[in-house]
Amino acid sequence: MEEKKTRKRLQANTALRQIITDFYAEGHRAKAEGRPVIWIPPMNGLIELFYAMGITPVFPENWAPLCAAIGTNRKNFEYAAKRGFSGDLCGYFRNNVGYALDGINEENQPLNGLPAPDFLISFGAGCIPTMKAFQVMCDHFKVPVFRADLPQVAMEKIEKRHIAYGVAQIKRLIRFLEDETGLKFDIDKLRQAVIHTNEACRLWDEIMATRKAVPSPFSAAEIGIMFVMVTRHGTEIAVNFLKDVLREVNEKVARGEGVIPHEKIRLFWDNIPLWYNMQLFNYFEKWDAVVVAETYTSAWSLRLNPDEPLESIAYKSLVSYPLVSCVSLNKRIELITRAVRDYKIDGAILHSNRSCRPISMGQMDIGRVLAEELSVPSVMFDGDHMDGDKFSMAQFQTRVDALMEMILEKKRA
Amino acid sequence: MDLKLTDLVHRHKEIAREEKEKSGRLVFGTLCSYVPVEILHAFDILPVRLWGDGKNPERADALLPTYICPPARNIMAMGLAGQYDFLDGVIHSYTCDATCGLFNIWCRNLKPAFSFLLSPPYMNTDEAVAYCIAEFKALIAALEDYTRKRFSAERLRKSINLYDAARECIGAIYQANRNGAAVRYLDLHQMNLALQVLPIERVVPCYDGYLSNVRISLGKGAKRRIMISGSVVSDLDILARIEELGGDIVVDDTCLGYRLVQQRVPPREDPLSALAHYYLDRPPCSSRADFPARKDYFLKTISAFDVNAIIFMHQKFCEPHLADHPFLKKVLAEKGIPQVQLELEGEGLTGQIQTRLEGFFEMLEAG
Repeated sequence: MEEKKTRKRLQANTALRQIITDFYAEGHRAKAEGRPVIWIPPMNGLIELFYAMGITPVFPENWAPLCAAIGTNRKNFEYAAKRGFSGDLCGYFRNNVGYALDGINEENQPLNGLPAPDFLISFGAGCIPTMKAFQVMCDHFKVPVFRADLPQVAMEKIEKRHIAYGVAQIKRLIRFLEDETGLKFDIDKLRQAVIHTNEACRLWDEIMATRKAVPSPFSAAEIGIMFVMVTRHGTEIAVNFLKDVLREVNEKVARGEGVIPHEKIRLFWDNIPLWYNMQLFNYFEKWDAVVVAETYTSAWSLRLNPDEPLESIAYKSLVSYPLVSCVSLNKRIELITRAVRDYKIDGAILHSNRSCRPISMGQMDIGRVLAEELSVPSVMFDGDHMDGDKFSMAQFQTRVDALMEMILEKKRA
Repeated sequence: MDLKLTDLVHRHKEIAREEKEKSGRLVFGTLCSYVPVEILHAFDILPVRLWGDGKNPERADALLPTYICPPARNIMAMGLAGQYDFLDGVIHSYTCDATCGLFNIWCRNLKPAFSFLLSPPYMNTDEAVAYCIAEFKALIAALEDYTRKRFSAERLRKSINLYDAARECIGAIYQANRNGAAVRYLDLHQMNLALQVLPIERVVPCYDGYLSNVRISLGKGAKRRIMISGSVVSDLDILARIEELGGDIVVDDTCLGYRLVQQRVPPREDPLSALAHYYLDRPPCSSRADFPARKDYFLKTISAFDVNAIIFMHQKFCEPHLADHPFLKKVLAEKGIPQVQLELEGEGLTGQIQTRLEGFFEMLEAG
């Protein structure tokens, strides 16, 4: 059988596996002990608030990559199709809806699956598929729902009015959580959670920056470490894990140890990885190439102010989606331009992702900027971050091989 | 239908260009019905909804993936072909992801002198209204800066009255249609479109004339009373075929129909507050609504217009509507209302669509 998993080299992956197991176990433990379990969207999660209040958050969207890696995504797609959902909808949507409506009832699920929600948070924000997936879940699970708003604003256009509106929503959410759970909100606990998140973001930036070193200490194959940025923000778990990762990668840099022995080509990856086929990141190694930077990991490159915890989490919720989508194409191009220079990029792989229109729109412009302004060749391939039926390995290999030859030719010239 | 309005709609780009050349009036393109056109009008800007069938949508392939909905690809193709080269600015109000991406790509490549992305709230609470007013004020500040004109509340009131008069007329025609008057939906479609693409001053007299004729016309007799539902519907040949098959489209749930004209801007001292209430009180589109709101609009409209059947006209890849569809199907099944889904790929009345429609009407006949 063809190996679909990537080869990971960081020691930290052992700890990460335990963190993932613990996270899902914690949800089930909360459920068993009668503590509230809440399902929340990823980008607008306000996760710090839930941890500060002792409420266990569950992210269906984060469950989707695991389903893809494990292979249960196909079953969930079938469930969604049986319920009448179009195959043209985002793979996260189809997986999560299929899982929430039917897959959740299956026996012997990996990690025991997700504990059913006691509450749901449904935001009119983020991408349409995320918003709509939660609407399907709100209709399905007969549990209390908190509906809220977050404006869709380009990061560089965020003004006080946007933050103020976000804070108003958060205050309403706090009242909802207090009323429904009987738990009390404590601003100092939130402040502490914000301190942890801020530290995690700082560490994240430092970890990513080590990849500027030549050779790079790790590649996009290790992207799974961002699990803690999604699920464990606001906790020491993320901070401690990231400190260990930073120590490990710094040691590699100090030793001049690259992720591959003879790094020749440094690549940039745009868009979400193919969660069911992470071996793609190994494929570059036959050309002595490494993916050293990507768009997706920039979603946590931000700083929070613990003196203003409510404003901070409002800001975090506002920026995380625009940073990786097409709400601001100019900002995205600016980030990529900077990455190309800072990370000494030789070429870029643009994943035209049928499951994510917000990220895929604008890639033609990105390709042109790379070629015309930065003299960096790129290649675009058709794929889907959740659905392997919409990806052709042969097409990918042909295109990537051509790009690599072009880059090597350019280097020789 | 008065040929004059159809002709004006057909020539709307030409008209905008003439208006600009003749009077120096600024012309702004809009991508969504949530753009507060009244504010643009108060600055003497002509708003023109970007709309139409590009002859060569593949021209957009240079900038957009092929898995973006046909209307977005058509608009981009028309822009690249220079059909909108008269525009001074483009304004969008965030609704669906595809149009937001289109707005960004349009601005980057066609470089309008002015561009603005509004981010209206999804909810309709007091704080949402206050935030919406703040967004409008930000747009006004940007317009003041660009036009070097001062905003006038009085002018905004006049603009609101003008648009409200148009909505009043179209709303009355929907009501006449509901009551069995001889209204063709194709005419209503043209009137709705005229409201989006033509100078408002030119369309109101056409509506008045049409309404007067409708009031004295004979009814059209019993037919299947249909509601169409979808995002952007511009395939006139499909609408015509529905009528030929015995369907009377009495109402709609689309990006430019009844949802937009059924309410007036409420009387309030502050016109910005009134306008915020109008946009947030409107039945929300699929990109902005949650399921209870969609269900509410469907059931109320079906009941008010005595609808017998629904035809979903879904653009290929339209995620908001595709995600709503199973839920709405379930709501309709519970009420025993038949429905059919058409998938539009920007190719008009294809054989496949024709077959589905014929099969659907045969089924209605048999039932």
